[in-house]
Amino acid sequence: MTGDAPLLQVQGLSKHFPVRGGFFRRITGWLKAVDEVSFEVRRGETFGLVGESGCGKSTLGRAILRLHEPTAGRVILDGTDITALDRGRLTAARRHMQIIFQDPYASLSPRRTVLQTLLEPMEIHRIGTPRSRREKVLELLDIVGMGPQVLHRYPHEFSGGQRQRIGIARALTLDPKFIVADEAVSALDVSVQSQVLNLIGRLQRELGISFLFISHDLAVVQHISHQVGVMYLGRLVEIAPAADLYRDPMHPYTRALLSAIPVPDPKRRRKRILLQGEVPSPLDPPSGCPFRTRCPEAMPICTERRPLLKQIHDGEAPHRVACHLY
Amino acid sequence: MTRPLLSVRDLVVEFSTERGLVRAIDGVSFDLLPGETLGLVGESGCGKTVTALAVLGLVPSPPGRIVSGSIRLEGRELTTLSEAEYRHIRGREISMIFQEPMTALNPVLSIATQMTDVLMRHQGMSRRQARDRAVEMLALVGIPSPEKRIDDYPHQMSGGMRQRVMIAMALSCNPKLLLADEPTTALDVTTQAQVLDEMVRLQERFGTSVVLVTHDLGVVAETCHRAVVMYAGRVVEEAPVECLFDQPRHPYTEGLLRSIPRIREEKLPELPTIPGSVPDLLHLPPGCPFADRCPRADDLCHRREPKLELRCDIAVACHHPNRYAGCPE
Repeated sequence: MTGDAPLLQVQGLSKHFPVRGGFFRRITGWLKAVDEVSFEVRRGETFGLVGESGCGKSTLGRAILRLHEPTAGRVILDGTDITALDRGRLTAARRHMQIIFQDPYASLSPRRTVLQTLLEPMEIHRIGTPRSRREKVLELLDIVGMGPQVLHRYPHEFSGGQRQRIGIARALTLDPKFIVADEAVSALDVSVQSQVLNLIGRLQRELGISFLFISHDLAVVQHISHQVGVMYLGRLVEIAPAADLYRDPMHPYTRALLSAIPVPDPKRRRKRILLQGEVPSPLDPPSGCPFRTRCPEAMPICTERRPLLKQIHDGEAPHRVACHLY
Repeated sequence: MTRPLLSVRDLVVEFSTERGLVRAIDGVSFDLLPGETLGLVGESGCGKTVTALAVLGLVPSPPGRIVSGSIRLEGRELTTLSEAEYRHIRGREISMIFQEPMTALNPVLSIATQMTDVLMRHQGMSRRQARDRAVEMLALVGIPSPEKRIDDYPHQMSGGMRQRVMIAMALSCNPKLLLADEPTTALDVTTQAQVLDEMVRLQERFGTSVVLVTHDLGVVAETCHRAVVMYAGRVVEEAPVECLFDQPRHPYTEGLLRSIPRIREEKLPELPTIPGSVPDLLHLPPGCPFADRCPRADDLCHRREPKLELRCDIAVACHHPNRYAGCPE
């Protein structure tokens, strides 16, 4: 795929939330949930975004879809600058980009049957005839491994795994090019989680959809992703092809994250890199490198200058890291 | 043979629901030895939390009810205790940690008040003594400047800090038994690693016996001595963790271990899965509850439910278990 333009380009994207306080609820500060983030998602690939709670990964996913209006930066999907679209055009462009949430129960209407839920996006976007829409619904159910007998059932009649399949089917109704999956398998039990992960992998291969797969689970992300980005306090600190990141993690935070995962093998109790303290408040991030307060390798320069993403390996898929060690 | 600290036998708990009577656990038995950490593992709805609640005497009643079976703590039967007698044991002899500390901590009382109350009630300490002990416990679980943080309210602390406070509180009365229900599930991995380390360290230091309820087999491998695997309200396998992870005998344990996403050197094209989903407890098929999802199921499995059979320290409820290489059969 060399030479092909990436499907999604995120350039210097920021999302700052005003913090209000005081007598007149004036703006007293800014919470930089996402701060100057840039990356690309290639066609038919999955970009895995990992980080701990509060790092800004979900806000980033939503800012890309303009579910949160970005503060700065650009998002270009297949040549179209999403951030420059007016409301009407944005609605039209939405059919190309969809989102799957962690808890499908919260995002599926309890009063709509599966059929109504899956027809709705096509009705809103006026796609097809009533007959062709219904055929599409049956086709989608088949893709996610469900039969026509579920058409007239309601969300509460399904298990968590089945509901997530319905959520995925709904995201597919408009043949999107790009899907944000936000902790899409995190609420599922392991035996069901692997079924849904395999389904997402298959959709990707067979339908050529690009995914932004947001998760706190590094093992899940490794399995599903081509590229992986690690986020900390609103910034990407490392981006690499999945194989490189897990074989040769470079940022001290990535290393600590990887070493903290409990390994299901009692004979291999690994030496953990235990981080000191906790994630600092994003309202008052440390000067210089945001990770320096917990970093086992922090140096004087880390307080003074914020490290920028630097390319370490050349080649088709570069390994980039934001750390003064390199 | 060491006498078990906790002994659960043939425990049956039912809940009445709108859809009918559900048998949440059906014939659960296990022993916990002094100083041991036992993992209760399984997927949602397998009955692991209900088992822990039953030991604590906290099965909500109604709708829940312990139908039969016995729970003994150092030989003393707990299922027949009155609520007043149970309250005397909880906090002093049995302590607990829950998944979300915010639901267990009182938001309008400072940490100091909550911790000293427990110590004054159960240990008969004076306020001064209780405060000193509480500060000492907070220091032990790794809370920086505990003499200051003790006057914080729960909302002033992060999730990891709150869970440490829960551990400090649970261990402050030096209980014989600690029940921890998904204690690190709501935490981030780096915080989980810190909290698990503290828990293991304190457990070794105080010699507390721990029942750890979790869905995470990685956590079990890193913290437990033995594990009980539950499915559809039953124990399907019980083994020392080394054996369980090395040579799972029940096809469900084997499937579960295989389907955990783990960091691998070579990426697999597809993750191994267990087909189907957990059966509805209201409409359990006859025979083995796992039979519908089991690659090995035959006629016998669909007809007769296998009993939990013990051999060489490993118990398994399966008509066709994997052979255990470490044990001549």
